[in-house]
Amino acid sequence: MNLRTSSDLILILVLLSGLGIAVCLSRWIDGRSRTKAEFEEKLYLDGPAARRLALSFNGLAADWYWMRSLQYVGGKIVNYQDTHEGRSDLTSLSTLDLRLLPSLLDVTTTLDPQFIAAYEYGAVILPEVKPEAAVALLQKGISANPDSWRLYQHLGYIYWQRKEYDHASEAYAAGSKLPGAPGWVAAMAARMKAERGSRDAAREMYEHLAESSGDNAVKEMVDHQLMRLDWLDDRDVLRKMIGDYRQQTGRCPQSWRELADRFGGTRLRIDLNTGSPVDASQLPYHLTDGGCDVDLDRQSRVPPS
Amino acid sequence: MWGQTIAIARNAFREAVRDRVLYNLVLFALLLIASAVFLGELSAGEEAKIIVDLGLSAMLLFGVFIAIFVGVGLVYKEIERRTIYAILSKPIGRGQFLLGKYLGLSVTLLVNVLVMGIGVTLALVYVRRGWDPLAGRVWPAILLIYVELLIITGVALLFSSFSSPALSALLTFFVFIIGHFSSDLKALAESSASMSARWLFRSLYYGLPNLSRYSVITATAHGLPPDAAGSLAAVAYALVYVTVLLSAATLIFRRRNFK
Repeated sequence: MNLRTSSDLILILVLLSGLGIAVCLSRWIDGRSRTKAEFEEKLYLDGPAARRLALSFNGLAADWYWMRSLQYVGGKIVNYQDTHEGRSDLTSLSTLDLRLLPSLLDVTTTLDPQFIAAYEYGAVILPEVKPEAAVALLQKGISANPDSWRLYQHLGYIYWQRKEYDHASEAYAAGSKLPGAPGWVAAMAARMKAERGSRDAAREMYEHLAESSGDNAVKEMVDHQLMRLDWLDDRDVLRKMIGDYRQQTGRCPQSWRELADRFGGTRLRIDLNTGSPVDASQLPYHLTDGGCDVDLDRQSRVPPS
Repeated sequence: MWGQTIAIARNAFREAVRDRVLYNLVLFALLLIASAVFLGELSAGEEAKIIVDLGLSAMLLFGVFIAIFVGVGLVYKEIERRTIYAILSKPIGRGQFLLGKYLGLSVTLLVNVLVMGIGVTLALVYVRRGWDPLAGRVWPAILLIYVELLIITGVALLFSSFSSPALSALLTFFVFIIGHFSSDLKALAESSASMSARWLFRSLYYGLPNLSRYSVITATAHGLPPDAAGSLAAVAYALVYVTVLLSAATLIFRRRNFK
């Protein structure tokens, strides 16, 4: 082995061991440093400042903030699932601390005012986090994209969630006048006015929301909400059956078998093996309160009412 | 006259290729491939928009770096190697020499931008699993990026005609930054109470190149084409501005003593 080869070997050894030591040191420093949560709840730039500093790269900066928003919500959900029992998803956002999300979406849409996906995401997530921020974001989106009927649809959805049915109706009506708006937008405006918070109106709204959105997270949220509406309908039917049974027999049923002959002609899903009515996730409903009431199974994927 | 200028341009292009300037294309290709593969999971269905943003921004950024770092060395290298004596001893004007160098770097940038543009188009076709109208709509934005790079090259050549490469690079980079703050300069000029400040900001606004006219990447990523009349005016503005820059560079370079 000549001198050059041996010195090369020493250099390679130094390089590899140096990299190994650097990795070990980084891990040690990471372990000692304060928890991530202490750092993450800060946004150093507001929208206008970020837009100025982005020069020509504001679109790219908007993408960065957009992906950071998605990672932020995803990270919170994962963190919640790691530290709590049970499942958290887009239907139970109030359990998560998403205080930075309104600012993240605001910066995203200031950097790129035509970023419709960011407004739509905000319309679905923000109402549970900070409803007034959701309305502000959608109004900002509408002023930057006055021809987008979908933003009016989302604004209507937010107002509906806040039980502001007149505002919801106005939003749908304004959206229905825009070019390309489907006929059902005008129908929703009338329905909001007439039926206000009815479940049928809600079901139709969720279905249209899923149809018009390409975001899987939105579709998943809609699926859950539709399951919840089914559960509310089923609960009404079952409570009425239990009430009728109690009136006739003077006691509450102790098993579903006692009500089996009343299930015919209803829209209830029945498990053919056990004869129990089941929810949309195919888990059986349970008689509670001594058989006088009904509730979901603990493992059910249906969000509680 | 044009034969000599083209010979200098060809030589400048060859030199850039020999200096491995086009190697940046490999980095660009890797960036796009990685984005096309991984963005699907990270962007919630917005991968096409992000590929356009990322591709065109990288095109501008890499182009600006090439325009600055190659541009400031165009004249300096010839002086340092003393090859300028051999060139200028021939019947070649100093203006011709500068124009040739400028055209050589412009061709290098054109090749760079074209290959990157094809890369962005292919990445879009890949993520959309077929032809997408957006893949065609990115080309007007690519043209405007190229025109912006032509201005930056002109600025780098102007500074390099009288100062060192390090200072020229720094000054050109400042012009690139300020060029994107033109609307702020105008607003400052309009809002200043002092007459002299208003005059200063207005001079800066009109004197420095207004590069924000070429910023159409964000709109393009949404499939919105740049306004045709505005784009044509921006191209005309660039041609005029580059002419002014090359004239100024020639004026200074003619008076430069190489002894």
